Amino acid sequence: MATHNRRLTLARAVDGLPSIGRRALWPVVTGLALVVVWEVGARARLPAYVARPSGIVAAFPSVVTTPLFWADALSTCSAIVEGVVVGTFVGAVLGLVMGRVREVGWLLAPLVRSLYSMPLIALVPIMVLWMGYTQTARLVAIVVAVLLPVAVSTSDGARLLSPDFLDVGKVFRARPHQVWFGIALPAALPQLLAGVDIGIGRAFTNGVAVEVLASVTGLGYQLFDEAQSLRDAVSFVYVIALAVFAIAARTGVRMLSRRLAPWYRPREPTAPGRLRREPAQVVGA
Amino acid sequence: MGGLRWIQLLRVERPRWVQAACYLASVGLLLGLWQYVGSDFGVLFAPLTTTLQELVTLTANGTIGPAMAVSGQIYVLTLGIDLVAGVGVGLALARLRWFAASFEPYVFILYAAPTVALVPVAFAVFGFGVTAQVVIAVLISVFTIVFSVAEGARSIPRIYLDVAATYGSTEAQLWRDVILPYVMPFLMTGVRQAIPMALVGTLVAEFFLAANGVSGLLIEGVTEFQAAKVLAVTVLVSALAIVLVGVGELVERLLVPWRHTIDG
Repeated sequence: MATHNRRLTLARAVDGLPSIGRRALWPVVTGLALVVVWEVGARARLPAYVARPSGIVAAFPSVVTTPLFWADALSTCSAIVEGVVVGTFVGAVLGLVMGRVREVGWLLAPLVRSLYSMPLIALVPIMVLWMGYTQTARLVAIVVAVLLPVAVSTSDGARLLSPDFLDVGKVFRARPHQVWFGIALPAALPQLLAGVDIGIGRAFTNGVAVEVLASVTGLGYQLFDEAQSLRDAVSFVYVIALAVFAIAARTGVRMLSRRLAPWYRPREPTAPGRLRREPAQVVGA
Repeated sequence: MGGLRWIQLLRVERPRWVQAACYLASVGLLLGLWQYVGSDFGVLFAPLTTTLQELVTLTANGTIGPAMAVSGQIYVLTLGIDLVAGVGVGLALARLRWFAASFEPYVFILYAAPTVALVPVAFAVFGFGVTAQVVIAVLISVFTIVFSVAEGARSIPRIYLDVAATYGSTEAQLWRDVILPYVMPFLMTGVRQAIPMALVGTLVAEFFLAANGVSGLLIEGVTEFQAAKVLAVTVLVSALAIVLVGVGELVERLLVPWRHTIDG
């Protein structure tokens, strides 16, 4: 009972904070606790080269001030941006055609869907074999990683759009191109963006995979290179950089989706902000 | 008007065999194209027939079997841990307020960050062994279960809990009779997606940590410029992936037959 009351008091004290502070308090406390556990645990049990928070903080300024770091970041990020733009465009067109023209859908869906559910990483060796140890191989791997989810989810969106929309189009005598780009594309936009979101995640994995397997310079290559030289703290700065870029890109796509299609609520992997906000109930109380 | 009728003709419900014929045509087209392009492409590509021969050779000379066993071990361990950890973390996120408040951002960061980047960390902590590989594979595949279970447990209608409370059910009864059955379909959705994702995780872990299983064969093929070998193993992995997707759908349909239509 005593602990129960104490917890209540604590909860009330937390509830008294302004809302942003209240929401940030617990994650910050947990984060600090995790960092302390990591630091102490690594010092106590792991060999000296294993990255620990103090080492990473110490390495951070010296890494991000080198031109090499920014050259790598530019190389990887520009490849990702280029690949995402090309992949989204091709995937959206392919998805629209597959979704709106049923025969094309039947013809292409089995191929696109089975490629989509395949571990794309298994295709990286072939790409390296065909395109050599080049930046082109990385770009193609990224384009494919984005193209497939975009095509699959856009075709779902375009196929399952409400017949009411098409009826309205018919009533107003919409021309075919107006139906496609005025009705089907906007209706499938949230699914398209959900595909881009998944695609960006895969793009980073594939991009890093090609960099490592084919020795293409970039953040991923440098990350593994530093780790192999047992400079794990330096390597972890690259981990942070990749994570920041990936999360920023995906958050950007999600914000875009919320802005352009506020009615759309994706069912699966949801960002914390989008999960149901009501507090978990104390069951049975 | 003529145009409209033509469109209506296209929209007419076609018999199943037309659909089946389209599927077959697309697969046939792909295989034919592969055979045709592969026949005079040089060392970097191999025609379909050569690839299949290579697959038979690799199976017969005992290259594939052991590699599959190594990868299979990682895969099974990964999927098992996914299940336990996914259900645990998912339920905790949904029903323990303090856990959600403190860990939700970190769970999301782990999900959204490229897991490949964590390979050196896993290597530093766990070494080159199976442990590190399974950790990476789990980090890649567990989140579909976590998010699915969390969403399920969060969406239990208040009234179910109220009814259980009215009838004086204990905490254990509440979990056994209300929460777990309600979450079950959500769990199966997560499991269906985790089954192929665990294969992705296995391959990524092998590629980057110790190329000993199926991925080892792929890397060998690339470094030795043996296109037929790379293609043969890729075909094998693709077939495996397609089978696993099917198994996932089957499992979901068998265990929660009342709810396979809710999401796509």
